[in-house]
Amino acid sequence: MKQELYEVWGDTVDARHLVYAIGIGATVSLGTFFIAQHLLVGWVESAQMARAYAMLVGILGCLAGGAISARLFKPKRHVIEHVADPAWRAKILIELQNEYGPLGRLSDLPPATIAELREMDLYELFADYEKGLAAPDVPAAPGASISAVRSHGSRS
Amino acid sequence: MIAPLLDQILIALGMGILGAVIFAGIGLISGSDETTTLAPLTLLVVLLGVPAAGVLTFFLAGAVAKHMTHAVPTALLGIPGDTMATPLMREANFLRNLGVPHIALRKMISGAVIAALIAVPMAVLFALMLAPFGDMIKHAAPWVFLLAAIAIAWFSKGRLAAVLTLIPFVMVIVGLQSITGQYGVKLSVSYFLGIAIGPLIAALFSMLAPAERATMRREEVRTFSLSPDVKSWGGFFPNPLKVLDSKQSMWTAITAVVSSATFVFSPVAMTVIMGEVVGSRIKHVYHRLTTVITARNGVTESTYLAEALIPLIAFGLPLSPVAAGPAAPLFNAPPRFSVDTATGQVNNLHTLLNTWEFLGYGMLAVVVAILIAYPFTMNYAHRAASYVSRKISHEAVISTFVGLILVIGIWEGGLLGLAVIVTIGLLGGFLSRFLGFNIGVQFMGYYTAVLTVPALVALLHS
Repeated sequence: MKQELYEVWGDTVDARHLVYAIGIGATVSLGTFFIAQHLLVGWVESAQMARAYAMLVGILGCLAGGAISARLFKPKRHVIEHVADPAWRAKILIELQNEYGPLGRLSDLPPATIAELREMDLYELFADYEKGLAAPDVPAAPGASISAVRSHGSRS
Repeated sequence: MIAPLLDQILIALGMGILGAVIFAGIGLISGSDETTTLAPLTLLVVLLGVPAAGVLTFFLAGAVAKHMTHAVPTALLGIPGDTMATPLMREANFLRNLGVPHIALRKMISGAVIAALIAVPMAVLFALMLAPFGDMIKHAAPWVFLLAAIAIAWFSKGRLAAVLTLIPFVMVIVGLQSITGQYGVKLSVSYFLGIAIGPLIAALFSMLAPAERATMRREEVRTFSLSPDVKSWGGFFPNPLKVLDSKQSMWTAITAVVSSATFVFSPVAMTVIMGEVVGSRIKHVYHRLTTVITARNGVTESTYLAEALIPLIAFGLPLSPVAAGPAAPLFNAPPRFSVDTATGQVNNLHTLLNTWEFLGYGMLAVVVAILIAYPFTMNYAHRAASYVSRKISHEAVISTFVGLILVIGIWEGGLLGLAVIVTIGLLGGFLSRFLGFNIGVQFMGYYTAVLTVPALVALLHS
């Protein structure tokens, strides 16, 4: 069965699964609410408190409905464990430059930040970038595509 | 004398822990908006009769915990954890693409810790400064709300369109109230929920219209790249001041103080502005990214705390975007809490707790939330993000919220309650999408309908 994918409320869903999930959510939540109300009105002194407790049970019913839907319908997401490619990083610097203008100098940084950059192996990246600036005709990362980066940044 | 106080503190502690645990979990789910989650659950706590101190700690600890764990999807998956996380996306994405999302995460939540601790005493201080004007403001409440509604609308994305849209929006609410009134049904939560969940209702209706449906069609699933786990700190509870450098701690503290004072502005707007102010003062781009993201996430905490606490302490009236939205049940939750503008009579946390109690329980809530959410996020962020993105489908999230609409609507007003949620949700959802008439403005519209319109009618008839 081919999936019919739609973007609803910020993420991708399958149309058929969405209809089923809404059906399950509605049935389970309202079902628990009405059963709880029916039972509690007999037990609890004040009718108002009985209804408040019934609402609490109903909300637990909402979560139960969600849990059932989560078990039945798998997420429509492709999750990959992703290690940022070192070759990308140079391109990120170009993006950063486009976004913020000049990137600044390492000599402006306090020692703690320099240490942090070294720990992350980013120091060389920025140092190379500064060397690249000293020789202005050499672009930092020639001929590279930045499309993969853009796909992540598009929501910002 | 001592025993009842101890009881109160224990209840406050217990509710704080409950709020922190629940909302630390909710914060991990991307797109779980603050208003749609905090408002109904806080309302429930109020209606179940939890003592005032417990209600306060539940809400505050929940908000603080959520704005820490929302850093997990934001930093590791590149999707905003909630509404307040959207201004953090640009910096988070750059740091993620540089291969250091764990740095983004650590800085964000460390900023949150510092700002939350600063915001509570600051909010109390500002509230004390405003309190002398409290009585005046209470008596002028209907007009203050009208002015606040216009101001908040003007500063929204819609500008003049949003200001003018207030008129038809208020008319619709007044109309709905008189219809339900004919059947003896008085609703309030249904309006809150309808406004908060409007974007979902609008999206579901759009799915049913063929033309809109076609634009929502997607050929393939979205790809999320989850960054690998890098643990580069020792122990279970890292020191936030060591995670940040001195400049970052300083900027976080300054922005926390400033954003605690500006409680009438939209928290998202404050987060954006404070970030820009800090960013323009730091030269090197890496330092700028990390400092801005730290300060911004700090502001998500401080604005929320101050916008809830200042109106509660000083006026007892929901006079800020947070107080009108996610924190609304702290002010108005009939039959237990109420605001009567005709007489200026207030019966809610404002009257039930004194200033010192607000300070004490506020700090308790913040400390509890930090003790739970901070080490959790530091140590389990990667596993949590992986679990949520692989196991919890968006269908399941929508299913839960549809259940919530049905239960709350039927509970409050039967089929009429449900009809009101759907009407307000659909209208509000589309107005927000097309005119920038956002949720904060809609809440102010609701208060204008409930508070200003009766005063206006009385004025015209006198």
